[in-house]
Amino acid sequence: MRDLIDFWVGIQAWLFETLVSPVLFHFGLMAWYEPGYSAVEFVMLGVVQIAVIAVGMRYFERRWPLEKAGPDDGLIMVDRVYTVLNKLGVIPLAIFILTYPLVQEIELAVRSWGYSPPRLERLLPWIGDNALASFLVYFVLYDFAAYWLHRGQHAFGWWWALHSLHHSQRRMTVWTDDRNHVIDDLIVTLGLVLFAQLVGVQPGEYVVILMVGRLIESWSHANVDMSFGWLGERLLVGPRFHRLHHALSTPAERHVQDHNFAPVFPIWDILFGTAIYDGKTRPTGVDDAAVDADNGRGWIAQQVTVFGRFVLALVPKFRRRASVR
Amino acid sequence: MNRLSIAALALSLVVGGAARADSVIILNSDEASYSILSRSARAEVVRLPVGREPHHLILSPDGKDILIGSTATNELLVLDSKTGERKRVVKDILDPYHLAFSPDGKWFVTAAYRLDHVDIYHADGFRLAGRIFIDGLPSHMAFDTESKTVFVTLQQSGRVAAFDLATQTLKWNMPVGNAPAGIVMLPDDKRLLVALTGEDRIVTVDPKDGSVKGSLQTGKGAHNFWPKGDGRHYFLSNRVEGTVSLIDTKDEPRVVASVRIPGGPDCMDITPDGRELWVTQRFLRRVAIVDIDTMKVVGSVPVGKSPHGVYMMKSTATVTAGAGLPVRAASTAGDPK
Repeated sequence: MRDLIDFWVGIQAWLFETLVSPVLFHFGLMAWYEPGYSAVEFVMLGVVQIAVIAVGMRYFERRWPLEKAGPDDGLIMVDRVYTVLNKLGVIPLAIFILTYPLVQEIELAVRSWGYSPPRLERLLPWIGDNALASFLVYFVLYDFAAYWLHRGQHAFGWWWALHSLHHSQRRMTVWTDDRNHVIDDLIVTLGLVLFAQLVGVQPGEYVVILMVGRLIESWSHANVDMSFGWLGERLLVGPRFHRLHHALSTPAERHVQDHNFAPVFPIWDILFGTAIYDGKTRPTGVDDAAVDADNGRGWIAQQVTVFGRFVLALVPKFRRRASVR
Repeated sequence: MNRLSIAALALSLVVGGAARADSVIILNSDEASYSILSRSARAEVVRLPVGREPHHLILSPDGKDILIGSTATNELLVLDSKTGERKRVVKDILDPYHLAFSPDGKWFVTAAYRLDHVDIYHADGFRLAGRIFIDGLPSHMAFDTESKTVFVTLQQSGRVAAFDLATQTLKWNMPVGNAPAGIVMLPDDKRLLVALTGEDRIVTVDPKDGSVKGSLQTGKGAHNFWPKGDGRHYFLSNRVEGTVSLIDTKDEPRVVASVRIPGGPDCMDITPDGRELWVTQRFLRRVAIVDIDTMKVVGSVPVGKSPHGVYMMKSTATVTAGAGLPVRAASTAGDPK
């Protein structure tokens, strides 16, 4: 294990000291020295994630596909662009630069009032001595927050205007998970980071949680005809469970997408009454022609179009508020 | 050392709840833990949890306690300096990034790096005497021998500020260069050395008024000092260049030796016999061991993520305060984080 760590940090340190550190030093950006080192690790983890998806998960898609090859296969290409941009940190970096000052201000204001995160180790001292237990507890909490943020994406019109891009894909695959509007990513990231601050997730742990969580979410979008079994499907979100969340709504199932929200642990859907386990195979996508049209567009066109939907969803509310005044 | 031996060591530490005089404490700043290493075995024997983002640690004036600053949880973890056992937690110490006692042991000062203030406490009972808000990321500190003034580097604003301890007021605040970090008062009590992490040099500053009197090129990312113990030589870590320089401060400071330490070398401490310098390598998750006579790396010990503060436990733990010999654990410098 130690050899693996040395190998990993050796590459990270070499990349940082060769490519990043000289630039930061030259431009007098030493305040970004430590975050810069963490950013290198983030990119490296992204490369690993892409490799796991492209080699590992794709193997299962090719071997046991649920939907066979068809005319919609070309729609997957843009999802690959999303995945690369997200996993290699281009989108997260932009979001980080936007949210970092705000998160900092909130954190510092709260801390200057003397408040510090209510660490679970004080309630459950044993988790502090067990790295795996600590990771699992914080992972479950993180997933709980992600579940409610996901429900918010479906509950508010303006947020659905953004999130509908994710659901518009008719050809759901391991690449679909990252297909999101940057503003949607920004809001979710901000929510999760603030939650992480609130419960006191250690930054080093947060990166691992993020990586493992996102890999499981990529897998849950896979086009595979596989199941974890009765119990497994209730312990971990799999492709069959999550595919129902992406199902095309019909007159008979108008709100089918308002189920199976959980990103990693289905327990939240079970507890809050949003779980459906029926084993049926349904087509995916949205029953809104304007949203479905996302499928013919590239990354930039999708971002611009969806931003327009988002603004339109917000504007009527502004007008209503103005008239009240 | 084989795994069985390390396991036996770990067991003895855990069963005894103890770290020994042979032990070294390392703060793993990015994983909320501290490692206890065996100096003789050059191996980590146990890793224990501590708050969030621990960066620096210090010995209490009476030599009985080791205080670990847990910055994100606003508290100090107090360990027994002889055994390493946890004794208590001191709460409501806001952002104790860097911490130090004045040479007379009466004042306890913390630099709140993220919250932009310097707190001056009565060391007895950690009663807050004054909080001074000052922009610029306060990080490292040094005292005059009379314990009247504390000097604090401000990494973001490129300045050093001097505060009167008794009145908790600003005496001066002067520009010194890009990203000043480590600071140390020389034995003559007339020169402050300040490491400029945003540059490749250190500067000599007059403690009376903060004026820069001289400059010495060392290495990119000059960051933190640790005294060799002879009142004359100081080690300096150069984080960007990945080296540690040995500086002779007699007359005009000059570099007399250097050693390559990759991985962002940061805090340092010396073994009780004065033969080895232990240096945390932030990026490599290791601690490098340097033979001081030859200035060569002779060992490396794996620890946790982003190791920062280092503390060498000694059989007779005493405060070695005074000009030239910094308050214990002042090696726990800052970082340009």
